[in-house]
Amino acid sequence: MGARGKQVTGMKINWFSPLPPATTGIANYTQGILPALTTQADVTLWTDRTGWDPTLEKYAWIRHYDPDRMDWVELNRADLSFYNLGNNHLFHAAIWQVSRRAAGIVVLHDFRLHDFFECLYRVQWRDADAYLAQMERQYGEEGLRAATEFVNARKGDYDLMAQRFPLTPLALENSLGTVVHTREAFEELKTAKRFAVVYAPLPAATLVSQRSLSVNRASNPYGLIIFGHIGRNRRLDAVLKALSELPNRDRFRLDIYGKIDDEKTLRQRVQTLRLEDIVTAHGYAPAAKLEQALSAASLAINLRYPTMGEASASQLEIWSHALPTLVTKVGWYASLSEETVAHVRPEHEVEDIRHYLESFLADPDRFARMGERGLSLLQQQHDPDAYVATILSLVSNARQLRLRKAAYDMARRAGVLMRAWAPNSDDASRSVAEKIHAMTAEPGSL
Amino acid sequence: MRILITTVQVPFIRGGAEIHAEGLRNALCEFGHEAEILAIPFKWYPPERILDHMLACQLLDISEVAGTRVDLVIGLKFPSYLIPHPNKVLWILHQHRTAYELWDHPLSDLVYYPNGTEVRDVIRQADRKLIPRAKAIFANSRNVAERLKKFCGIDSTPLYHPPPNAERYYCSTVEDFLFFPSRLCIPKRQELVIEALAQTQNSVRVLFAGVSDQPSYANKLMSLARKFKVHDRVEWLGPISADEMRHRYANSIGVIYPPTDEDYGYVTLEAMLSSKPVVTCNDSGGPLEFVLDHKTGLITEPTPDALAAAFDLLWENRAEAKAWGEMGRVRYESFNLSWEHVVNKLLA
Repeated sequence: MGARGKQVTGMKINWFSPLPPATTGIANYTQGILPALTTQADVTLWTDRTGWDPTLEKYAWIRHYDPDRMDWVELNRADLSFYNLGNNHLFHAAIWQVSRRAAGIVVLHDFRLHDFFECLYRVQWRDADAYLAQMERQYGEEGLRAATEFVNARKGDYDLMAQRFPLTPLALENSLGTVVHTREAFEELKTAKRFAVVYAPLPAATLVSQRSLSVNRASNPYGLIIFGHIGRNRRLDAVLKALSELPNRDRFRLDIYGKIDDEKTLRQRVQTLRLEDIVTAHGYAPAAKLEQALSAASLAINLRYPTMGEASASQLEIWSHALPTLVTKVGWYASLSEETVAHVRPEHEVEDIRHYLESFLADPDRFARMGERGLSLLQQQHDPDAYVATILSLVSNARQLRLRKAAYDMARRAGVLMRAWAPNSDDASRSVAEKIHAMTAEPGSL
Repeated sequence: MRILITTVQVPFIRGGAEIHAEGLRNALCEFGHEAEILAIPFKWYPPERILDHMLACQLLDISEVAGTRVDLVIGLKFPSYLIPHPNKVLWILHQHRTAYELWDHPLSDLVYYPNGTEVRDVIRQADRKLIPRAKAIFANSRNVAERLKKFCGIDSTPLYHPPPNAERYYCSTVEDFLFFPSRLCIPKRQELVIEALAQTQNSVRVLFAGVSDQPSYANKLMSLARKFKVHDRVEWLGPISADEMRHRYANSIGVIYPPTDEDYGYVTLEAMLSSKPVVTCNDSGGPLEFVLDHKTGLITEPTPDALAAAFDLLWENRAEAKAWGEMGRVRYESFNLSWEHVVNKLLA
């Protein structure tokens, strides 16, 4: 456990992230890795909020900032800055603003950031023109046309826009490197020349070894659990429908924890499907209560469709309780082994959920083993210490990353200047960029 | 030989570096060579401009002019010393200091920019890679050589040179003032001297000579003198002729020169040539290579009270001040500073 300012490595980093008690998984993620992170580095946590969990101060220095009045001197005193970005503009707007001015490592918690930028420009800054301009800059005429239709539509298709126009490059254009938590994201970004791309499986927020696993699962009826922010992509309706079609549905109880976007519709659905005795929505639950509920549950349902490409902290939480899980076969979840989760096909949701629930009743031990293998995977691949070692390896390369970025920026500036006299501006610009890239491809060359 | 001296020029600003380049050119011509100064304009903000200038220098071809070979290039200042040439000697006045010892320093500007670290790293990398390509590397002073070694791991040889018109300095009847000739700017620390004056036991008078890079800074210094109620004990001479400069040196009790980590500093040498003791600070850099504490001057902490005590000491002990000044002159002679020596070294 690292105490504030006591590190012997001499490594100093800036860490921009939402902090507890902010109601986002990224705040919990930061809190979870902080003990491991601060054994290796002197960490300054930067927040644009005025309040934070005071226990964080045991580990790190905490600095309040305003993105329009940054203390660049303090920022420049660190070896490297890390910017945690996700789709919630309320938590990440200020972080992105700083990241686009002072280059650092962007930790991508969502691989598709269209929601973030769309809300930032249109809702937070009330500047639809800027959103359109960015869409055109990133995706040309096609992007501008789609964005214009999206803006003019009464109810645009957010999911489709995120899939087609993720806008993630906008978050990375001033970065020295990025950390991604999914193989899918890594595969898509790894060919990037301008910045480093590192894959590090999302770390478990709580060290499993520190938790006493008290298995106290109910079996009559069996407990099903759904938790987290219950938005449109959590497929609650499909779950309810599958349950309602189950002849022996009385052998299950479904507990839902967390904020529900459309609670009224949920209540109506539960009534319509006559599930009042089976389904209970508890609302937000403090961590201890959720822990207890996870310990008592027999099967977790953790569906996401569509996905923004994210790895799921909640899945790690589920595994830390050795719970079997139903997940959607998309994005990061699709990459998980059938040994550790049960995959629900998006196009056959109700059918698959019903099938798994029937299978569970027929052979609950098979599902229990699935949960145990999930726990084992968690311990092997999602260890916070290993995660911290991976991302801090970027610090030792920070100088090389800065040199590479400076060369690319120079190429861009040169390309712009050459437009005035080159016969074909695009070719000239690319030629300069390619030459400079050749110079910078060899580490340390200039 | 046809020799080009590369340096940078901030338009409308003239200081020691310009005098240095001209001195070298004149010496080379005097010893029978054809020499010219090639001055590249330089702007250091926003920081990416520095990188532009670096690349611009690297893109220049000065290997020949109109079909005639340039035999030798002598690089003096960053980034002009990055201009390539197959026969290049560096005599480094200083590197880009805010990327090095002044990075996280009150005088820094680079560290205040969001891309400061990035630009700093590029400057350092370029220096490490490109400086060693010169066939010989000299530094303006031991201080500059030590920085080059400390930050870039590059060995260089300190090579001193005489101030311009060294033979024309003299000593004359002492009048009641200390003399502080320098550009009016923060690194030279005129502010510190004004604060020190407010703490002297005696009515010490100081004559400041030199102009400010920015007129507002000169006004600020005058306001500061009024604030500390020492305005009637200071005189702002502004720009003065070389003759008057030597005259003021000659008539002073001693010379004040407490800059922040100076590279070399003509003022120290000019004071010694005028047989005057020098008051400097223990963080003043270049002057410390010449001043011996309580032998040819006084070396103090860079604080108002320490400087005030030094001013009082010279003011009250004129005979000792005179003796230290004379020892300074003897010490100057012991260095055998000459342009002939410089030219021989650079062209060896």
